[in-house]
Amino acid sequence: MITKEKLVKIVGTNALSYKPAALDAYSSDISFNNTVRPVCVVKPKNAADIQKIVNLANKTKTPLVPVSSGPPHFRGDTVPSTGGAVIVDLSKMKKIINVDRARRVAMVEPGVTFNELIPAAKKEGIRLNMPLLPRKTKTVVGSLLEREPVVMPKYQWDISDPLACAEVIFGSGDEFRTGQAAGPGSVKEQWTVGGVQKAPYGPGVASWHRIIQGAQGTMGIVTWASMRCELLPSLEEPFVVGSSNLDTLMEMASWLIRLRMVNECFILNNTALAAIFTKKWPKDYRNLKDTLPAWVLFYCVAGYEYFPEERVNSYIKDITSITQRLGVEAVKAAGGVSANEILKTVQQPSAEPYWKLRYKGACQDVLFLTINDKLAGQIDVMNEVVEKADYPVSDVGIYIQPIVQGTGCHCEFNLFYDPANSSEANRVRELSNSAVKALIANGAFFSRPYGESAGTILNKDAATIAVLTKLKKMFDPNNIMNPGKVCF
Amino acid sequence: MALKKDVYKAFEDVVGPENICDDPAIMPAYHSAELAAVILPKDTAEVQAIVKLCNKFKLPFRPVCTGWTGMFPKGTLYLDLRRMNRIIEINEKNMYAVVEPYVISAQLQAELMKRGLNFCIKGAGTNCSALLRGHGHMDQTTSGDDRNHLAIEWVTPQGDIVRSGSLGSSDEWFCGDGPGPSIRSILTSAVPPGVTPGVFTKAAVKLYHWPGPSSFPVVGQSPKYTLSEIPANLMARYYSFPSVEKMWQAEIALGEAEICYELMGFNAAMVACNITTCNEEEEVVFEKMNKEVQGPGFFVIIAGNSADDFAYKKKVLGHIIKEAGGKSLKTVEDPEVEGILLCQCIRISASIRETFRAGGAFNSIPIMGQRDLTIKWAIGAGKAKEPLIKKGYIVDDGGAFFGWGVEQGHLGKTEIFCKFDPQNTKAKEAVETWQKEQTARAFKERYFASTMGPQDEIGPALSNYHLWWQKLVKELDPNGVTPEGGALV
Amino acid sequence: MALEDYRGDMDMCCRCSACKFIPMQKVKGFQFANVCPSISRYNFHAYSGGGRLNIAASMLKNGFKYTDKLLDIVYNCQMCGACGVSCNYAMDMEVLEPISEFRIKCVSDGKTSPTLDKVIKNLRKTGTMMTDAKGKRGAWASGLKLKNAAKEKVDVLFHVGCLTSYNKDYWKLAKSAAKILQKAGVNFGILGDAETCCGGRAYQMGYKDDFLNQAKKTMALIKKTGVKTLVTSCADGYQAFKVLYDRFNLKGNLEVLHITEYIARLIENGKLKPNKKVNLNATYHDPCRLGRLGEPWIHWKGKKIPGDRFVFDPPKIYRRGTNGVYEPPRDVLKSIPGVKLTEMTRIKEYSWCCGAGGGVNESNPEFAMWTAQERIDEAVSTGAEAIVSACPWCEKTFNDAIRESSSSLKVYDIVELVEKAL
Repeated sequence: MITKEKLVKIVGTNALSYKPAALDAYSSDISFNNTVRPVCVVKPKNAADIQKIVNLANKTKTPLVPVSSGPPHFRGDTVPSTGGAVIVDLSKMKKIINVDRARRVAMVEPGVTFNELIPAAKKEGIRLNMPLLPRKTKTVVGSLLEREPVVMPKYQWDISDPLACAEVIFGSGDEFRTGQAAGPGSVKEQWTVGGVQKAPYGPGVASWHRIIQGAQGTMGIVTWASMRCELLPSLEEPFVVGSSNLDTLMEMASWLIRLRMVNECFILNNTALAAIFTKKWPKDYRNLKDTLPAWVLFYCVAGYEYFPEERVNSYIKDITSITQRLGVEAVKAAGGVSANEILKTVQQPSAEPYWKLRYKGACQDVLFLTINDKLAGQIDVMNEVVEKADYPVSDVGIYIQPIVQGTGCHCEFNLFYDPANSSEANRVRELSNSAVKALIANGAFFSRPYGESAGTILNKDAATIAVLTKLKKMFDPNNIMNPGKVCF
Repeated sequence: MALKKDVYKAFEDVVGPENICDDPAIMPAYHSAELAAVILPKDTAEVQAIVKLCNKFKLPFRPVCTGWTGMFPKGTLYLDLRRMNRIIEINEKNMYAVVEPYVISAQLQAELMKRGLNFCIKGAGTNCSALLRGHGHMDQTTSGDDRNHLAIEWVTPQGDIVRSGSLGSSDEWFCGDGPGPSIRSILTSAVPPGVTPGVFTKAAVKLYHWPGPSSFPVVGQSPKYTLSEIPANLMARYYSFPSVEKMWQAEIALGEAEICYELMGFNAAMVACNITTCNEEEEVVFEKMNKEVQGPGFFVIIAGNSADDFAYKKKVLGHIIKEAGGKSLKTVEDPEVEGILLCQCIRISASIRETFRAGGAFNSIPIMGQRDLTIKWAIGAGKAKEPLIKKGYIVDDGGAFFGWGVEQGHLGKTEIFCKFDPQNTKAKEAVETWQKEQTARAFKERYFASTMGPQDEIGPALSNYHLWWQKLVKELDPNGVTPEGGALV
Repeated sequence: MALEDYRGDMDMCCRCSACKFIPMQKVKGFQFANVCPSISRYNFHAYSGGGRLNIAASMLKNGFKYTDKLLDIVYNCQMCGACGVSCNYAMDMEVLEPISEFRIKCVSDGKTSPTLDKVIKNLRKTGTMMTDAKGKRGAWASGLKLKNAAKEKVDVLFHVGCLTSYNKDYWKLAKSAAKILQKAGVNFGILGDAETCCGGRAYQMGYKDDFLNQAKKTMALIKKTGVKTLVTSCADGYQAFKVLYDRFNLKGNLEVLHITEYIARLIENGKLKPNKKVNLNATYHDPCRLGRLGEPWIHWKGKKIPGDRFVFDPPKIYRRGTNGVYEPPRDVLKSIPGVKLTEMTRIKEYSWCCGAGGGVNESNPEFAMWTAQERIDEAVSTGAEAIVSACPWCEKTFNDAIRESSSSLKVYDIVELVEKAL
């Protein structure tokens, strides 16, 4: 265990706490992870601090759990799996290091939230490719490292996007900069000659950023990350298409993305949409759910600097030929929710309270990746499992996000429940575990293995785990980085 | 360096006598390397068996596809992947195709175009493997580098079969990453140094929409193939600009406007190479084009998804070019030339005429990354070519460099090469010196660090990536059977 | 020219693999992208055009080390020239020439194929390539009352060729051609029993001296007839007379035409009117030596200009397969009512070889069959019921392959269809 004196020397007393009340916040989260209390929480302010902490942790074999976002957490990845852990809370590192319009890139420290970065980017005329309605306390770096799906699949060329480069202190204590950021020269020296930290591949032949994404803090601690940004449109025309036939909407979405005609593009079921847009709970929720079509495809057509109206009009015309072929209609509102309102909403983090908590106070997500043809079958499987667990199928929120320019899609089931109701909570817990098993059996790919199901997920691919284990041994030889997460 | 009889027999038992050879007669065809043998596996199972034998006998091996270049330590077992040439799947809905290593890009592209699809053709040409990581002329639309791979099937240096991402977990090809951190981080590279050890036996590659015809209407006889007509909603043009700054202004604006199917930063010399059928004609045409261009420039292909889309894109193109003082090259406005270039740049990816035809060799410095930054460096590298041109060591291309936009200008590629006669030792030395000096200058002045430079100098400046890579290779290959070198392309 | 003279060309090979495939812009899909039978069958890069250049260059530099494998590589090549066409789309360098010179060197060093030795021995003795030749060479013309060009003055000498003359199954081709010429009122004659081999195949096999001896003999015979025009219905013969004889300064002013060129001319001039319907769904196979290798020889002598480029003074014009005989056979087919022509993928200058050339038919019939079968498969894929060609070697090889595979594809020579239509 790292001694208190040593930690004080690094971060000072104000950035260090052993108080139970403070530690409670890190001992558990909304997920069904076991409660495990850390020894202390330390809040470093820079990479040098972090490196010192990591070096000490190596010497003393102290587990470290990095956290950047504020509560409530949902995945269990920031709750220690073992005793004796030190929480490395990066939320104080709030520098927006660089926002570059010309090269469409932004660079932030791990504690920067979406709420903080969005206006800074907007000032320069650019914006982030965002996940859907992150909570207020969610950090940008946290989202990027989790490989959260983003709402503009057209601009996601690779699953690692929009992450560009990162600086990381590996579990070994080594500092490493990924991609273009690696060098030559320091970041500032690169800026002097006109370089930015944008190209993600390298240094050398490897793409090191891919090893820290999806790692749940098990490889190292990121001290800053850069991300690619997109231009702010000068004109936006959002639309919704409602249908009870998901296949039709998926077909439409795949063509919109294939032809690169839309920016934001995703599908929500009526439950999820109602959870987001209900203004007066609980009455309006039921009403809204009932008036919304079963599925709603949302997309936005945009124009930029050159003749935006012409661009938008030409896309709308081409989209109309698609909707006509599929027998659906693109409209400006569905069930009382306007497309404009949806657009405005999804270009920001979630308003408080976080939308997933509004219905019942808690939510367990079952999320995976899949391909278009398998999706309907997997939704059926989920519905069966849900029914079996006596959970109302109509209460399950569903979010379908085409990813990586349409090569796959993210499917997310939101299971809302009352955390104070232990039997409901247990039912949801069991339901979620059963669902993972059943969905795996139906070809769902759980690329982000969290919580109790992680083992079930990872056991399917022993060969990959064997390689990951070798990598882990390299980057974190003493297994101090969030031990017990992923397959480590 | 022949194999011992019993060792040879063991490998022969895997592939059959017809598919292994250690006769010295074949070695000159294999980079004149002193190979242990050349072996031709037909599928993943045979690759695995071969690799396991290599581990048993501590025999170094390298896999190669078409094998443009290669350097192999003595006694390497050369896995010629020619027999692994199947297209496994084309998934139109989810926009990916799965190929074995020796499917050449021309084959895959022809199948894709029938379906209104396309993919990233590497600059080495459509005569090379479709499977490999790489970058090419259409990167503006079709991305590049390691960003086009999805799932990969990989036989590790120890002979384990690892299937990345969704392939390993749910037998699907659409995702190469996870569960958890992605091993795609290390499954990469086609050209040394730093070729991923082991063998890629299959990979899924991303596909892109192709708004053009299901096949180009090619007419004529080799070497003059033209198009009988320019297909609907397609246009190719070359624009030159009064300065590099203006060229960049237009290039980035075009990227942000998202209107180019291809934005290829050809110089006049390269255009001349592509549209001519022999060296002599090339010299004449280059001279003519050099007078036509007002400065540096680029080649664009505009492809409309519909007539309206095409009209819009052309309008924006015209506007941006005008704003930057660009001038359209009359030569390329000629439909015959336009057609030749459309075909060259999409169905062939240019390459051989631009590189080898003149002298038989070329040495290049390619960099992927930030285009405006690398252009700055390339200007200096181009000036440094001038003394070599004066001495007659290298082909006179005006000291030009080239490059292209990637992902609508988010990323970029810049390259500069010298074409020379490899039998001329003075020329070869001069070119190699130029290459070393310019690479060193890029490093010193902080433009970029080419991984072709000395690893022990560059590595420490780049987070010691070389040491991490060495560590990784050691972990993956405890028996040391995957030496550096070789080329898959 | 000796192998040494092609050192520069061989060194130009950048190992790009284009020589293995048809020109990239002609690739129509996964199938039928290969153009080199040798590497398609044997897979080692050594069997490709580029591989052969690499080997020859290395041996020239480091000494000639002959092994069984080397000879296997050398002789398992139809010398079809497809590698050169694909290469020369982009590159200015000789490909087939150094490959040919390497084979000639092997032969002159005594590194021969015993089977081919037998063929050449027979050629020296009997003046034909056919080792199983029986009876008289002119027997096919019995009863046709054709003029003897050695005895009567004629305008055109119809040179029949070894295979057609000595293989009864193919007499029909000579007969059809003769009947066509008669119908068109052409003043032509044949040499009958006195006709001898053009020698072309000997050159392909690497026996350059034997070729020259035979060529001189044959040319002497032709000169004696005083004809100005020679017409042949064999592609091998066509390439020999038109290209090789010209190359070695034996041809003089003799006009050499393939029967299809001549028929196309006769149709154009109204001398032939193919009016009868011949209902046939067909695809046309371009013989290598009528097509890409049949383009005229270019007499050139020059020196490489010192410097960075591989260029010459005077500028060298390469034979890239551009000017082969592609359209006349097609024009002839199109002029026959009822014939529906569907093209294969690999046609014209990038046609897939039938498999017979270069001595492969003799030294490795299994490889020749394999090559022919690939072509049969391609023909069948077009939906055609017949493959039509303009060379008896192609047709025989196809027929042999069809017999072995029990395909129902029919094989015709163009002259058969023209005769049917008259």
